[in-house]
Amino acid sequence: MQGTLEMLILKTLALEPMHGYGVALRIEQVSSGVFRINPGSLLPALSRMERAGHVKSEWRATENNRRARYYLLTARGRKALSAETAQWDRQTAAIRRILEA
Amino acid sequence: MNWLTNLYRGLRSLFRKQRIDRELDEELAAFAEASAADKERAGMPADAARRAARIEMGSAAAVKQMVWASRWESVPDNVLKDLRFAVRQLWRSPGFSVIAVLSLTLGIGANTAIFTLLNAIMLRPLPVQNPAELLLLGDGSSQGSTLAVPEGRTALFSRPFFHEFREKDTSFSGVAAVDSTQFGTKASIAGAPYQTIHVNLVSGSYFSVLGVPAFLGRTIEESDDATEGAGPVAVASYSWFQRHFNGDPSALGKIIRIQSHDYTLVGVAKPGFDGFKVGQATDLYIPLSMEKAFDRPGYNTLDNNLFQSLYLIGRLKPGVTAAQAGAETNLLFKQIVRSLLGPQPSQKQLGDLAHASVELTPAGRGVSDLRRAFSVPLEILMAIVALVLLIACANIANMLLARGVARTREVAMRMALGASRSRIVLQLLTESALLAVLGAAAGVALAWKASAMLLNLATPGPEPVPLNLTPDLRVLAFTLGVTVLTALLFGTLPAFTAAGLEFTPALKDGRGSSSVSARGVMARSLIVGQVALSVLLMVVAGLFVRSLIHLYDVDTGFDPHNVLVFTLDSSTANLPKGADEIRSVRLQQQIEDSVKAIPGVKSSSFAFVAFNDGGWSDQVLFLGVPRTPTNGRQVSFNITGDGFFSTMGIPLVDGRTFNSEDQPTSPKVAIINQAMARRFFPNSSPIGHRFGFGDDPSKAGEIEVVGVVKDTKYYALSEGTQMEAYFPCIQAPGFYGNFVVRYAPGANRQEIVSRVRSAIAEKNPNILVNSVTTMQQEVGRSVATQLVIAQLSSFFGMLAVFLACIGIYGLLSYSVARRTSELGIRAALGAQSHTLRWLILRECILLLVLGLAIGVPVALSSTRILKSLLFELSPLDPAAVSIAIVGVTVMTLIAAWLPARRAAKIDTSRALRAE
Repeated sequence: MQGTLEMLILKTLALEPMHGYGVALRIEQVSSGVFRINPGSLLPALSRMERAGHVKSEWRATENNRRARYYLLTARGRKALSAETAQWDRQTAAIRRILEA
Repeated sequence: MNWLTNLYRGLRSLFRKQRIDRELDEELAAFAEASAADKERAGMPADAARRAARIEMGSAAAVKQMVWASRWESVPDNVLKDLRFAVRQLWRSPGFSVIAVLSLTLGIGANTAIFTLLNAIMLRPLPVQNPAELLLLGDGSSQGSTLAVPEGRTALFSRPFFHEFREKDTSFSGVAAVDSTQFGTKASIAGAPYQTIHVNLVSGSYFSVLGVPAFLGRTIEESDDATEGAGPVAVASYSWFQRHFNGDPSALGKIIRIQSHDYTLVGVAKPGFDGFKVGQATDLYIPLSMEKAFDRPGYNTLDNNLFQSLYLIGRLKPGVTAAQAGAETNLLFKQIVRSLLGPQPSQKQLGDLAHASVELTPAGRGVSDLRRAFSVPLEILMAIVALVLLIACANIANMLLARGVARTREVAMRMALGASRSRIVLQLLTESALLAVLGAAAGVALAWKASAMLLNLATPGPEPVPLNLTPDLRVLAFTLGVTVLTALLFGTLPAFTAAGLEFTPALKDGRGSSSVSARGVMARSLIVGQVALSVLLMVVAGLFVRSLIHLYDVDTGFDPHNVLVFTLDSSTANLPKGADEIRSVRLQQQIEDSVKAIPGVKSSSFAFVAFNDGGWSDQVLFLGVPRTPTNGRQVSFNITGDGFFSTMGIPLVDGRTFNSEDQPTSPKVAIINQAMARRFFPNSSPIGHRFGFGDDPSKAGEIEVVGVVKDTKYYALSEGTQMEAYFPCIQAPGFYGNFVVRYAPGANRQEIVSRVRSAIAEKNPNILVNSVTTMQQEVGRSVATQLVIAQLSSFFGMLAVFLACIGIYGLLSYSVARRTSELGIRAALGAQSHTLRWLILRECILLLVLGLAIGVPVALSSTRILKSLLFELSPLDPAAVSIAIVGVTVMTLIAAWLPARRAAKIDTSRALRAE
């Protein structure tokens, strides 16, 4: 669904700053392997979000002491997350009602 | 602020592309490493983990491309890259590029040139304030003057009418009047020698109603026009002011002497405003109050209630619709004219007035004789050049299709490397756009020169028609639109075909076989379309040429060979008026006599009109002949010297020509032409019968017919048979500006011209010779428009055929090249060379027949719109249609012959090795 990926990334980054692979791994783990995100979709999405001002990035050392680009949630990104979550809740609730009717 | 940050970051990354690229590489590497490390932790061997991570990630280049594409700066970056690539591609195939750009230059250039003329003549609004609010009373179709009571649609108005009307009307915020004829006369500025100047008489409200401010000084004001002779002032047009004073403001206050009256130059009008008549630039505006100071035959009568010579222009009040204004105008028109007819109008006058009306027409574009004369030809030429451009587009599309085949591998390679289909299409369209822009740039430069040249060709004369042909926004927008449309037209199909290709087989096989047939169908349809369009254009060209030939074959009724036409200007000679005017005739006779003495001159005569320079007409009534529909038509008049008929070579059929019997006091005589004789006296000779002007039986006995001459053309070659009557100068005194001289065949013309000039100067040095032409030139000039249309349509028709031939040649050459091995096998198996030739020719003939089958019916059903432009020729003229068919067929076969010969001479062993 359009925009879902960005919401998931925002949610993941809300916990702590992460590098690209970290985000992909986290989403895969939390969704118990349902969502596997390859770099071909993840990195363009992060690039878009950075331009939109929802995340910013900086280079940091990883746990095994390599350089990696870490993505951080901005205040605007936090706002976007709550807006998108609320929107998502409304939509899923509506869909659920339709399915259960 | 967000988009600003976005813009800033985008720009920054454009300039630091390498760093961005490096960072992305690093990020991807880190990603892969982290992924691999993770897999290793989960128990995979190190090697396998790394491989699995790489496989999961896919092509690093593709990922980088996707990240880059998610940002806006990738768009301009791509465009730049595509442009660079396109330039390289075009550079690499100079033959194709040159042909493509050349045909686009011609195509877009021709379109721009014709549109520039169309815009200047038909579309461009006058540079006045809110031109949309201006309405003209009448449609501006007549000019000059009339004394007749209005009947039917009225376009000219008298000055008393103007004053009453502007008093009473409530629809307009202002009404301006302008003399419908702008006239050329001689002026001396601050004592300098006389020079030709174009004067237009305008009301005091003219500049304020049109909303044209002064550039310098002031414009003509109400006080200048308040009473007779109140305003001996002149306002110059900006361009004339620039020409004569180089923009020097001290010119204000200078005295301009015109026809022995002095005018003070009080101002210069706004730049760009050249008067109300498009195509007739005014040099000086002079108030209508000065009308009496100008010597014009039949004028000096502006106070006459029925002397109608003015155009009236109104500016609508805000909130008033044109329909409301029209209703009020018509009401007032009848009231005012009725009151102007005097206390006891005749029954006939009232009857005429009952049928009279005034149509309000938009005046924002001014009025223009050019518009009437050239609207239809320009529209047709516009259609012709549009079709030529379409053919050029089809040609380039075809060449691009062929190039697409050659570039199959390149495209497949780029797609394999991660380029999306849309990127490929965009890149190929960029190449097309580049071609179109190059063609358009050259085309605009061409059009700039060509439009002025066309105008001069179509309207030959001593002075160029002053028309503003500088490209304005509308022309630029048109050219831009045409360019974009052109690029899309010829670029889209090949680009989509190239990008839509399945690339795997294409990579394997250099010649791409399966997709070629679909492409071939497209290429062939384009050729069929080209043939059809070029047949259409050739039919059109043929019709115009045949119509022109018919015009040239017209019997003028006079002998135009060995005749010189001098146009003379006596306005500075201060010739006597009124009772003494007979002295002008004596002066003419003296000039005629001394010219006759020049060796080589056979005869000469002054005349009111020669051929093709306007005229004077009215109805006539013969004593004792009842009015019939045919004899009630207008009769064209001329006033001539005694030697006119011998000079012009008009044969006398009956009676006598003018001679010394005819004197100012002797009975008034006339010579009429055969058409007039036939209509009034179908069964007897008109000699000795009497007639008068107009419809008044009491005047019908005034003039006696003494001779009958052959019918001649009066206004134009294309006119039908006119009734004509000639009067001797001596009984209608005045100085007439046309002087015709017949010289002996083989006489030295230059010598005669200079001796005639000095003979005139000797009799009166103040009579100026405006121009000298030959009667043959005059006759040629009268069909200049038709000549230009015939030339242009032939040129474009042949260009179209030529382009189609290039297309056919290209297609068949390509087909021969592609079928080399097939032809080789056929030859090896014993096919004769004529069989091979036929194989290729057959293809061409099929396309030709299809093209003709479409083109000929289209031509036959569409040439009807040319009817008004064809002289005594059916739009279905079989000769024109057959010439077009034969021409296109011959050209096509010639184009096909070369590739066919190549096929016939195929070298079997080389052909078989080629695969």
